[in-house]
Amino acid sequence: MAGATTAEAANQALPVTELLEIADYITKLKRGIAGLRAQELTRDRIPMAHDELGSVVAATASATNRIMESAESILALEAKSLEDYRRKVEAHIGDIFEACTFQDITGQRISKVVEALGQLEKRLSQFSTVVNVRDGEAELDPEEARRKARAEKLLLNGPQPKGPATPQDAIDALFS
Amino acid sequence: MALDLGMPILVVDDYQTMVRIIRNLLKQLGFEDVDDASDGTGALAKLKQKKYGLVISDWNMEPMTGYELLRHVRADDALRTTPFIMVTAESKTENVIAAKKAGVNNYIVKPFNAQTLKTKIEAVCGA
Repeated sequence: MAGATTAEAANQALPVTELLEIADYITKLKRGIAGLRAQELTRDRIPMAHDELGSVVAATASATNRIMESAESILALEAKSLEDYRRKVEAHIGDIFEACTFQDITGQRISKVVEALGQLEKRLSQFSTVVNVRDGEAELDPEEARRKARAEKLLLNGPQPKGPATPQDAIDALFS
Repeated sequence: MALDLGMPILVVDDYQTMVRIIRNLLKQLGFEDVDDASDGTGALAKLKQKKYGLVISDWNMEPMTGYELLRHVRADDALRTTPFIMVTAESKTENVIAAKKAGVNNYIVKPFNAQTLKTKIEAVCGA
């Protein structure tokens, strides 16, 4: 009878231990979620990154157009004399220099986005450690899966990080 | 055989600045009859309306890529002999080989200069 009581006590103790572990995990999970500061990310940082990158795209497009317009104007120049030609070319070159100032501002904008991405990476890394879940345990987003499959099928590798993967000379050799 | 400067050329790229750059380079080379399309679907429609002497196409475009356009062109009896140059940032060897197998006439990796474009056009269209 006394033995049975000890066994029953052991059986009852097991769920309590498990419950304590679950409670501990939930506490860690809550701490991890809080550490993400998801509201700050979705309210401030991600929209900021979106806006900054949008501004970078607009600024680079605008600068490119101004540079192209100046170059096209130089190509189409008509001048009365060499001096007149030189004066007109220099005016267009001045426009090109001015258009190139976009780089300073876009550089600062991109730095802000890089900093925001760094913060996001750090928080996600901490969260991943806390919850101890691997990527393979989650299903791939259907839209992302479709994009990935299309990219693989159509060989959409995009520009390589450190310049062309195959130099033009090597490509030329394949066509000679 | 000299280049036929009057031949119509179709430039296919979803990036308007790149279309403008290629148009300017072609103009410098003496080509005046240049049309453009922003993806393979638009390009195919134009290719069926007008006979082009050359297609210069980007690879990565939506909804139809340059690679798909190339395969459509080579599968179409009326278009299969149209010279086709790929101008792209896709520089992996697998891309070049796939394009060559699909029947591309030449392949240029971005960024490129006027001389490279001229050399390839001469190689493809005869000089």
